[in-house]
Order: sequence, then structure tokens, then C-alpha cells
Amino acid sequence: MSTDDTPDKPGKPDPAEEPAKPTGPEGKPEIKPEDKAEDKPENGPGEQPSEPGSAAEGEGAERQRPEPKAGPAAEETPAPGAVPPSDEAPEAEPLTGRQRLVNGLWPPRLTRAQLTVALLLCVLGLGLAIQVRSTSDNSALRGARQEDLVRILDELDNRTKRLDDEKRRLESQRTQLESSSNQAAEARKQTAQKEEQLAVLAGTVAAQGPGIELTVSDSKGAVESDKLLDTIQELRAAGAEAIQINDVRVVADTYFSGSAGNVEIDGKKVSQPYKFKVIGKPQDLEPALNIPGGVVQTLEKEQAAVSVSRSEKIIVDALRPAKRPDYARSSSQ
Amino acid sequence: MIAVLGLIVGVVVGLVVRPVVPTAVEPYLPIAVVAALDAVFGGLRAMLDGIFDDKVFVVSFLSNVVVAALIVFLGDKLGVGAQLSTGVVVVLGIRIFSNAAAIRRHVFRA
Repeated sequence: MSTDDTPDKPGKPDPAEEPAKPTGPEGKPEIKPEDKAEDKPENGPGEQPSEPGSAAEGEGAERQRPEPKAGPAAEETPAPGAVPPSDEAPEAEPLTGRQRLVNGLWPPRLTRAQLTVALLLCVLGLGLAIQVRSTSDNSALRGARQEDLVRILDELDNRTKRLDDEKRRLESQRTQLESSSNQAAEARKQTAQKEEQLAVLAGTVAAQGPGIELTVSDSKGAVESDKLLDTIQELRAAGAEAIQINDVRVVADTYFSGSAGNVEIDGKKVSQPYKFKVIGKPQDLEPALNIPGGVVQTLEKEQAAVSVSRSEKIIVDALRPAKRPDYARSSSQ
Repeated sequence: MIAVLGLIVGVVVGLVVRPVVPTAVEPYLPIAVVAALDAVFGGLRAMLDGIFDDKVFVVSFLSNVVVAALIVFLGDKLGVGAQLSTGVVVVLGIRIFSNAAAIRRHVFRA
């Protein structure tokens, strides 16, 4: 009450008073004290008929209403408020606000006023719905102030930068890992190659390649085992990589024993003819054997028949079991 | 009654059709809606007072909307859009409250 009454009162008195003076004498015989008139009871109603029409354009609908309203309101409100209820009864006779509301609501009348109001309310509802929807279905950004938006943008920029940095870091890490895994694969490959080479040397796998075949026929049993060892040494000096005598693989710890005609290699008896299968560079091996005063001449001096033949494919397929050394350990691990 | 139906139809259409508001008008829509609400409350109060005039209502409705949008527009041009729209909303809010008080007195007699 106070909110709408207070603006009314100050607004009212000034314009109201001037017309009040002329109307006072005309319409109302009793010239009540000016103070009372200003209070509203007499003046208000006097103005009402003229006000709504003229004041309508002046302000919003309700601005103009409060003014006329002040009249009836003044009469009505005191009544329910505190002053005699008897006053209200006669005044309410025409129609109370509640009755007007019910009248307006229930029998639906298709009048021009109702239609125009309906149209405007429809527009209002449309705007209301659109606004509600647009504020609710969008993120908080829509209603944000400019400074907030700038701040949010800054934050996003910073975040993007941070994430970019992180991405770069992770990518470099990935390339590192990839290269290191490449290195590991390379190392594995090299290890495998080395293992093959070592296996050939250790005699645990068969080997093939170019080389020579040396056959020593010792029909008289005159070839000592040290002569065979000399042959092996000569071959090794000439770059032999894999050697087999009959069906015994010659490796690092191979030893010769026994006497002429009864030769044992690695404790295994070997009978003549001794057939050497040697893998190496044939052009090196054959001359190494045939040099004057070399292996071939020495053996022939012992009455043995020696033949050397080159071959592009020598297969050394005698194997030795892999032995794990009991004491020696690799010092590289 | 028809008026209430109009309001409901408007809300339903707005929710169902989801019309797209041109971006140029978008900033003025909320303030215009508040202004229209003010006019509607004024009209309701006038009806309860028995002095309702549809011509006045139409004029006040439209002028309220236009003036409110105009104020916000001017405020935007002057660089005080946010403050001015806050001021408009405060003023309209006060008027809505006073009108609601009058309506309440009519309807509930209290």
C-alpha cells in the first residue's frame, strides 16, 4: 500500500487541487476543509471521470489508473483497514474488485477489448517464453558481463597455451620412447647376429659357405696327430671360420691325441682318410696349404696322399653341444 | 478469459516453436518483457478498479515496451547500458509491486 500510495499523493495534490476548486463549488455543495480534500475522499471521485481519458496517454496504463484509483481506493481501503465496515458495504454495492475479476473471467465474452488484450498478452507470453528459453538453454556465458567474458577468454587462452605445452612435451617424450625402442630393437638384432656368429664359432650350429675340402689319405698310418694340428693352425691362420674333420667339429677347445694311425680328436677316434671341410676364403686357404714347405708338402713327405679342392658351397654340419662354463662368467654384465 | 487464453497460447507457442530472435533485438527482449509485465499488472489493477479501457491498455503496453527498449538502446549507445537497464528494471519492479499490492487488496481484501 505504502509504495503506491506515496507516489500518488504527492503527484495528486498539485493538479488535483486546481480543478478541485472549480469543481468543489459546482459538484459538491459542502466545501470541506482543503486539508481533507487533499487527503482524497472528495477530490478523488470528482476527478475520476475526467482523468482516465486524459491521463491515459500521459503515462502507462497503471499510472493513470492509480490516480483514479486513489479515489475509490481511498474510500475502500480505509474501510477494510480500520474505519467503519458500514462504509464499505454501500460503496461495494456497484461491484467489488473480486466480482469484476470473476465477471471478466468466467462467461468468456468475445469482445474487442478481450481480443486486443489477448493479442498483447500473447505477444508478452511469446517474449517471456523466448527469453526464458534463451537464458535457460544456454550456458552462463549468455548473461555474462563483458569483463567476465574477457576474463573467461583470457583463462581459456592460458589453458590452451598450457595444454599446447603439455602436448609438445608429450610428443617429444613419445619420439624419445620410439627412438629408444628402435634402439632396443637394433640392439636385439645385433645381439642375434652376434649370437649366430658365436654359435658358428662354438660349433653349436651348422654352417655353410664357400671354402675348400682337404682330404688326407694316410693309408700307411704315418700321419701323427700333431701334423693334423699343424694343418688346423695353418687353416686358421689363413682365415678359416668353421672346420670339420670327418664328423668332428673343430672348435676352440678341440684337442688332438693318440699316435699315428690311431688319432683321436676330442677323445673321439678318427680314422683315415681325414676329410677336412673348411669354410673360409678359398683363394686364401688353398695357397696357404700349398706353399712350399707347407702343410701339403709336409704331409706328402709322410707318404700321405693329399688333395685340395675349392668349392663354392661347403657344409659344416657336425655339431657340438653348447657347454656352460662352470667358472668363467661374462664380465660385461 | 480470452485474454488469459491468449497469454497461455503465447507461452506455449514460444516454448514449442522456439522462434529465433534476431540478434539485434535480443538485448532489448528481457527489458521489453518486464515493461510489458508492468503494463499487464497495471491493466489488471485497472480492471479490478472497474476503470479498464482497452485503448489505454494497448497504448500503455506498447509505449512501455518501446520506451523501455529505447532507454536500454540509448544506454548502450552512451556506454551505460548495464546500469540503465538495471535502473529500468528497478523502476518497473517497484511499479509491479505496487500494482500487485493493489490487486491483492482487491482480491484478498488484505
